Amino acid sequence: MTSKWFNCSLECQVKKMPIQILQGTLDLMILRTLATMGPQHAYGIASRLQQVSEDALNLNQGTIYPALVRIEQHGWTRASWCKTENNRDAKYYTITKAGLKALSEETERWRQMAGVVEKLLAEEQ
Amino acid sequence: MAHWRSITARLRSLLANKRVEEDLAREVASHLTLLADDFERRGMSRAEARLAARRAYGGVEQAKQAHRDERSLLWIEQTMQDMRYGLRTLSKSPGFTITVVLTLALGIGACTAIFSLVNAVLIRSLPYGDPEQLVYLFSPNPSLKIPAEVICPSYGDFYDLKREAKSYADMSNFEQAQFSVTQQGTTLRIGGARVDDDFFSTLQSMPELGRIFAGEDNLPGHAKVAVISHSLWVSMFGARPDVLNRSMQLDGANYQIVGVMPPRFEYPFKSDLPYGDSHTQSTQIWVPLALDSKARASRGIGNNVSVARLRSGVTIHQAQAEMTGIMARLDKEYAADPRDAGLPREWGALVESFTGVSIGPVRPLMRLLLAAVGLVLLIACGNVANLLLARAAERARELGVRAALGAGRGRMVRQLLTESLLVGVGGCAVGIVLAVLFLRLLPKLDPGNIPRLNEASLDARVFLVAIGGSLLTSLLAGLMPAIGASRMELTEFLKSHAMRGSSAGHSRLQSALIVAQTAMVVVLLAGAGLLIRSYINVESVDTGFTRSAVTFHVSLDQRYPAQKQGAFYKELITKLEALPGVKAAGGVSNLPLSNSESIGFLWVEGYPNKDFQQAEGRGVTPHYFEAMEIPLIAGRYFIEADATGNGPAIINQKFAATYFSNRNPIGGRISTDEKHAHWSTVVGVVADVRHMGLEEEPQPQMYNTSYDFGDESVAVRSTLPAATVENEIRAILKSIDPSLAVTDIHTMGDLVSIATARRRFQTSLLAVFAGIALIMALVGLSGLMRFSVNRRTREVGIRMALGAERRDVLLLILRNALVLVVCGLSLGLASTWIATRLLKSFLFGVGQHDPFTIVTVSVLLLVCGLMAAFVPARRAASIDPMQALRTE
Repeated sequence: MTSKWFNCSLECQVKKMPIQILQGTLDLMILRTLATMGPQHAYGIASRLQQVSEDALNLNQGTIYPALVRIEQHGWTRASWCKTENNRDAKYYTITKAGLKALSEETERWRQMAGVVEKLLAEEQ
Repeated sequence: MAHWRSITARLRSLLANKRVEEDLAREVASHLTLLADDFERRGMSRAEARLAARRAYGGVEQAKQAHRDERSLLWIEQTMQDMRYGLRTLSKSPGFTITVVLTLALGIGACTAIFSLVNAVLIRSLPYGDPEQLVYLFSPNPSLKIPAEVICPSYGDFYDLKREAKSYADMSNFEQAQFSVTQQGTTLRIGGARVDDDFFSTLQSMPELGRIFAGEDNLPGHAKVAVISHSLWVSMFGARPDVLNRSMQLDGANYQIVGVMPPRFEYPFKSDLPYGDSHTQSTQIWVPLALDSKARASRGIGNNVSVARLRSGVTIHQAQAEMTGIMARLDKEYAADPRDAGLPREWGALVESFTGVSIGPVRPLMRLLLAAVGLVLLIACGNVANLLLARAAERARELGVRAALGAGRGRMVRQLLTESLLVGVGGCAVGIVLAVLFLRLLPKLDPGNIPRLNEASLDARVFLVAIGGSLLTSLLAGLMPAIGASRMELTEFLKSHAMRGSSAGHSRLQSALIVAQTAMVVVLLAGAGLLIRSYINVESVDTGFTRSAVTFHVSLDQRYPAQKQGAFYKELITKLEALPGVKAAGGVSNLPLSNSESIGFLWVEGYPNKDFQQAEGRGVTPHYFEAMEIPLIAGRYFIEADATGNGPAIINQKFAATYFSNRNPIGGRISTDEKHAHWSTVVGVVADVRHMGLEEEPQPQMYNTSYDFGDESVAVRSTLPAATVENEIRAILKSIDPSLAVTDIHTMGDLVSIATARRRFQTSLLAVFAGIALIMALVGLSGLMRFSVNRRTREVGIRMALGAERRDVLLLILRNALVLVVCGLSLGLASTWIATRLLKSFLFGVGQHDPFTIVTVSVLLLVCGLMAAFVPARRAASIDPMQALRTE
């Protein structure tokens, strides 16, 4: 494991090496986004992720689709077609009860995991 | 509900892939639009914004593919997981798994086997072009009391029909024939046909090698040519390609081989013709009919078969109407043929479809077998469902824990369905093995008169049915417990994990399944019972002859003109009777049960004679009755001195009862020619002989004696074993004329056995299916009782603690089982009442509501049911109350 992801101090370096996202991490981020912002379409989610990561997460917006399918198949989100404020058609994802539950569990897991990784990395340096 | 949605979403993504794809495309497009809108807002032009959006989005196709991968990935992953888990749980309870797989295998195996039969007999196409368009033309005569399909139009009438009829694309006439073929010193009789020019074109069949007959082949006196079958080509000529340059000896004459027909073309098979030559199983040689002009114009009864192919769009009704018109005109135009024994010229018209004649008679049997295996499969299905239900209930705890840990309901349903599909696959595999074994056994059961039965095999269609059947069965069986499990209320479960469906310890669904199974078993048992009763009745029919007589047939070739034949048979019979151990030997023109009959008109002195009184006529040598042990009722048997050809007559009881109803037949006189030029005196009355079949009432029969009546079969009665007698017969024939062939060497018992073979076939199959069904239902009942005893352990403990005796507990469980059996029995008897109506045509000497059968079936079922319940009941009775109360 290298500092490719997470342990990044230099923004410019990160921009050159786009973050590879651990499977499941993206799911967590999407769930979190939906939980905070309410129903969102894929573009909205992608923009939000970009904005929050201050463009560190320079991922192609299409990359979030598999994650969207996955969490929908788990029953964590519900999707429906609605109009945007600019009157465009868009598929909106809403987080479900199960999704909220999963979010809290996943968050907990993530925290533990991140703690472990952080500790490990700190020792090695 | 979210779980349901997820599983339905996934299912939909599998089934309705198109909709998912469209949705995805729409979503991507909308995403791109939103992106572009944003870029536009930041000041880009519309075109630039679109480009930028594309860039920001990344590869659209990659994104879509990733979406697809993800969609199917989860599905595959979970399926694999389910299968691994299913295999593990199944292998943990081998008893359950083996029972379910075997039950399914029996059902699937029976179904597959019978379907492969039906496939070969009814479904697979015949190698005769479009067989649906083929028809036979018959011309029944109302004065002849014989089946309508015996006589075809005379040659003269046929060629008039051919000229005038517009309904047919092709018409052909042929005669069946037997040929002596000498191969490596032994003479064989091979079935053949003399056919006209249009025979092969009517059947739309072309040779695989060489040619068929053309113009001049069918002129009389032309070079003799023959077309042979594929199997004869292989067996006689080693499938050598130079066969067309060779010739073969048929009845001592040289025939040039001009063609070889493809495999499977052996028309006519015995079963292709309603009243074909009984010596011919299938046709191996075809030679030109080569009629001379006199034969072509003959209006007398011939030996020909008329087959035609309907023009497309012409119905049988239209063809029938046309033929009726033409025959009516011909009847007016021509006088009766003098050779037709005084029959008036009133030949009718009858057009019957080829498939109706060839397959029609076995269609009801095939339907019966299909219905029977259908029931067996349903019973198997019910059994498996019950076993799965019981297992699901026993696993309620496991399922509850899984649900509590967050397993989705859909996920659990899928898990249970995967398990039942796994056992379905196992059942299917074992079932196909069983079907293969059955097909191996089939030739031994072959009654010989079901067309193409021996071609039954496992082809793609049969496999499809087997696989489809087992999938359907396991889905049906698996669905019930799966839905039951998915309905489970978690709170209920957590409150008390000892769920009670009903007071009996098992659910109503389980009881209903057992009742339905029992009812189906009753129907099958009753059907089998009725068939067995019929079979016993047929077997105990008094045939009128001994079964131990050894019979054979000798075909004399052209070296034996009519005047030399009598001397030959006399020498043969005298030599046979001189053998040690032989009691008597006698010849007859047509053996009983050999599917050939000769019918004559007669006039009885002193009887109010009507026109066209008919009787079965037999020419016999003097000792025929002794050889066949046909009992003498009155008068005497024939003696050597009677054998003049114009001597006395012997009649059967039926004849005596019909024409000599209240007078002594001995001394009575009978004439068989309309001019009464000759009268035969009756010297004896013998017992009725079943000539046509065991299930048909004997007709009036009349015998004359001589050695000189042409083609004969010979019967020999000896105290020695049949095999020894056969060897002696062959040796004697060789000593008289080594180039003659003995054919159709059988004991009369063999002929009876052949005559009852179809009945034996259907009876044994139905009995086996009924037996399988009974065992399955009993296993099911026993399993259910065991299951319910397990669940009621605590209750039984309390009852016993409160003073119930072991006997009471035993009775409690038995009563429980009895209620189910009685319910099933009554339901089954009610269905039987209706269902056996379909069986009516299969019965002989027994009513469709035969009380004996119904009582036997009821008693059998009750006894078996109680026996099946007894073991679990005794286990319930042996429960230790202290132990029972301490558990849980």
